[in-house]
Amino acid sequence: MDEILRLSHISKTFPGVRALQDISFDLRRGEVHCLCGENGAGKSTLIKILSGAYQPDEGGRIFFNGAEVSLTPRTALEMGIHTIYQEHIVFDALDITENIFVGAEIARWGIPQRKEMREQTERVLRYLKSDLSPDMKMSDLTSGQQKIVEIAKALVFRSNVIILDEPTASFSSQEIETVLDIVKTLKEDGIGIIYISHHLDEVFEVGDRATVIRDGRKVSTYPIAGLSKSTLIKDMVGRDPSTFYKREHTPRGDVALEVRNVTGNGVRDISFKLHRGEVLGIAGMVGSGRSELMELLFGAAPLVYGDILIDGRSVRHKSPKDAIRNKMCFITEDRQNTGLFLTKTIAENVAVANMVNTREFVVRPADEFAVGEKYRKLLNIKAPDARTRAVNLSGGNQQKVVLGKWFNTGGEVFIFDEPSHGVDVGSKQEIYKVMVDLLKEEKAILMVSSDMPEVISMSDRVLVFRRGEIAGELIGEKITEENILTLSIGGTIE
Amino acid sequence: MNTHGTSHSTGPRKESLFKRYENLTVLSIFVSFVVIVVALQLITTGGSRFPTFISPVNIFNILQQVAVPGIIAVSMTMVMISGGIDLSVGMLASLVSIVVALGISQWGLGVGPAILLGVISAVILETMMGFIISRTRIEPFIITLGGMISFQGIALLLCNSREVVMKGELSFLTANLLGGVKDPVTGLDLRMPPYVLLFFAIALIGGLTLKFTKFGRRIYAVGTNQRAAFLSGIDVKNMRLAVYVIQGLLVGIGATLLLARINTGIITLGQNLEIDTIAMVVIGGTALSGGRGNIVGTLIGVLFLGSIANAMNMLRLPSEVQFLAKGLVVVIAVSAGDISSRISEFRALKRDQADAQAAAAERMKGGSAQGGAQSDIQNSSA
Repeated sequence: MDEILRLSHISKTFPGVRALQDISFDLRRGEVHCLCGENGAGKSTLIKILSGAYQPDEGGRIFFNGAEVSLTPRTALEMGIHTIYQEHIVFDALDITENIFVGAEIARWGIPQRKEMREQTERVLRYLKSDLSPDMKMSDLTSGQQKIVEIAKALVFRSNVIILDEPTASFSSQEIETVLDIVKTLKEDGIGIIYISHHLDEVFEVGDRATVIRDGRKVSTYPIAGLSKSTLIKDMVGRDPSTFYKREHTPRGDVALEVRNVTGNGVRDISFKLHRGEVLGIAGMVGSGRSELMELLFGAAPLVYGDILIDGRSVRHKSPKDAIRNKMCFITEDRQNTGLFLTKTIAENVAVANMVNTREFVVRPADEFAVGEKYRKLLNIKAPDARTRAVNLSGGNQQKVVLGKWFNTGGEVFIFDEPSHGVDVGSKQEIYKVMVDLLKEEKAILMVSSDMPEVISMSDRVLVFRRGEIAGELIGEKITEENILTLSIGGTIE
Repeated sequence: MNTHGTSHSTGPRKESLFKRYENLTVLSIFVSFVVIVVALQLITTGGSRFPTFISPVNIFNILQQVAVPGIIAVSMTMVMISGGIDLSVGMLASLVSIVVALGISQWGLGVGPAILLGVISAVILETMMGFIISRTRIEPFIITLGGMISFQGIALLLCNSREVVMKGELSFLTANLLGGVKDPVTGLDLRMPPYVLLFFAIALIGGLTLKFTKFGRRIYAVGTNQRAAFLSGIDVKNMRLAVYVIQGLLVGIGATLLLARINTGIITLGQNLEIDTIAMVVIGGTALSGGRGNIVGTLIGVLFLGSIANAMNMLRLPSEVQFLAKGLVVVIAVSAGDISSRISEFRALKRDQADAQAAAAERMKGGSAQGGAQSDIQNSSA
C-alpha cells in the first residue's frame, strides 16, 4: 500500500562479527515505526545502512517507493532519507540558518542568498511551532532546541523519511514533549519516521508499529495498538545461556563503600552500600548516569551534594588523587582515551597511578621494570616483556595493563566500568577470574555494565539506573534480563 | 564495536631499531651532515689540511654559540613534552637582559641582586602564563604569543627604546677556563667560558629529572594523555604550571649569559630565540603534541642547528643560505621520523596481508575437498 521504504533480507558482517542477520523491515508513509532492542542489538548498524554509511552484505535489497535502490550517503539524501543521530552534529559558532544550509547554501553567482535561506528556515521553524529565531547562535541553544534545528534541517530539504536515533536522550521532560509533538506533526504530513528509543513510554505514545531486534536478528514486528509492554520486553531479552559466566561465590563482608544521597554530574540522590566480597552491578541504558556517578565517586567530577563513606569513614574526593589515596580504583570504560598511556611501556603504565602513594622523588627504572614484569606475569599479559608499549597490545591485554596499574596501588574498592568492553572472549574469562580473585581477597567491586550476560553472571546485587536515578535494586533470583530491562526503560516489577 | 576482531593472537611484534631508540633517526641525520661537511672540506682542500669543521677550536666555538639557546631548549623540551609551547622566550630574554643591565648600570643594585631581579622577573612572568594555561582551556600558543608581545612592550618601556650599555660587569661569566691551552690541530687559543659547562650541567640535570624522577614521569604522562593522567591521580594543572616555572628560571639564566656576552641590554638580544629553541627541540624528536621526546635528542638538535651556520662559513657559502639550510633541516629531521614509521607500518601491513592470505589458503584447504584439490594442483604445478 503506502509503503515508502522496504529492506529485504539485510545482513551486515564485520571482520569477526555478524552485526545484522537477515533483517526485513518496511516503513509506510505517515507512520512512526519504532526500533527496539538492547544496547548492541544492531540498531545503530541498521540505521547506518539506511543512511548509506554502510553497505549491506550481498543478497540484501533495499526498495524506495517500490524501486530497488542502492544507498550511499548522497543518494540517501537525494531520496529524502534524513538521519538524525544521537550526538549533535552542529557548528556552535554559526546561527540556526547557517547550520541548516551549511554546505548547501542557496547562492546566486556564488553569493549566498541569506535572506532567502533565512525565510525558509523561519517558515520551517514556525511549522514546527517553535519560537526559535533563525538568527540565534547554535551555542546558545539547549540540546533539546538543537534537536529541533536538526529536524528543521531535514524538513528544509524535503524529507520523505526521517530516522530519529534516541532523540530524547538526556532531555528534560518538557523538551521530550516538544520533540514528541513534532514527531506527531511530521507523521500527519505523510513523512515516514523510524524512531529509536530506549524509553518505552515514548514508543507507546508516538509509535504505530514496533520492530524488535536482538543480537542482530529481527524478532518480531507488532502494531502498537493493543500491544503490552511486557510482550515487547520479552522479545527484547532472551540471550543464549552459553554466553553466561559461572562465577564462584564469595562470602560477603563489611561495608566498604557507602554512598548517601549523592547528587551532581547529572545524577540525583543516589544511595547504596557496597560490601567487601561482593560485586554490585550497575545496569541501565547508555546515558542513564552510571559512568557519571563513578566519576563523582572517584573525584573526577564535582560532588554537589551527598556523602561518600569508605570503611565507615566520611571522605571527600576533590580529585582522583584523593580517591586513589583512599584506596579506590577506577577501570574506565574507554581504556584507550582515559585509562592508558598508549605510547608508554607496560611498566610505565603500571607505575603511574601508584605515584601518589610513594614518597620517593627518584624513579628507578629497574624497580619499575620489575613491578611491570610482576604484573605482566600475574595477569598473563601477552607481551615479550614489560618494556612493550601499550599501543602494540590487543584490547584484552591492554585491559590487563589497566588492571595492573590499579592493582599496583593496593586499592580496596574497585570500580569497573564496562570491564570487558572490546575484549576477546578468552581475555574476558580471565578478567572475570581476576575479579573473583579480588573478591576472595575481600575487596569490593562496583561494576557498570551494558553487557547483560556480564551483569547477570557477575553481580551479587544489581542497581538499575534510569535518567540519573536508581530505578530499582535486584537481588539473587530477581536478577534477570527481563527485570533489568523493565526497570531501565521505566517499567515497574512486582 | 568489534575491537577484538582486530586483535592479534600472535602477540605484539618486535619494533624496528629506529622505533626503539628514538634518537637514532636524528642522530644519523646529524652524523651524515657532519660527514658531508667534513668530506666537502677535504675535497676542496684536496685532502691536504685537517678539516677545520671538526677541529677542537671550532667545536668549542660552536658550543659557545649554542650554550644559551641550549639552556632554554632544555626547559622548552619539558614544556613541549607536557603538551605546551612557549613563544615568549625570546622577548622574555630581551626583557631580562634589559632589567639586569638597568639594575647594574642605572639602578645601582650591584651585580648579584640585579641578576637575581632579572631571573625572578622571568620566573614570575612565566608563572603567570603557566597559571593561565593550566587553569583555562586557552591554547598555550595564544597565551605565550600574548606574552611575547607584552614582554616586548615592557622591555621597551623600561629602556625607553634605547640600549643599555654596561661596563663589562658580567665579564666573569665569559672568562676563559682554558686560558693558554692551544689547539693541537690549528695552533689557535682554545676558549671555553663557564657558561658552556653550565649548559652541560643544566642539560644533565634536566635529562635526569625527566628520566629518573616522578616529576619527569608525570610530565610525560600529562603530555601523553591528560585525561588518563588526571584519572591516575596526577595533579595535571600543577604539572602544566611547573614546566613554565622552570622555563622562567632557565630563560632568566640564559638571558643573563647572553647579556654577559654582548655587554649591552637591548631589545634585539633575544630575537628569534624562540624560533631557534623550538627548532632545536623538534629536530631532537620532541612531538608538538606532547608526550614524546628527551634531552639527549634535544642536545643533538642543539648541536645540529648550531653547527649549520658554522659549517656554512667553513664552506664559504653566503650567510643568507643558512636560513634556508636551517629550515630544510627542521623539515627533513622531523619528516624522517614520520617517514620511517610509515615504512614500518607499510611493512606490517604487507606482513598482515601475507598472514591473512596464508590463513585463507589454509581454510580453503581444510574447508572443501574441491578447494583442497585445487590448491594441491597449484602446489604440484609450482
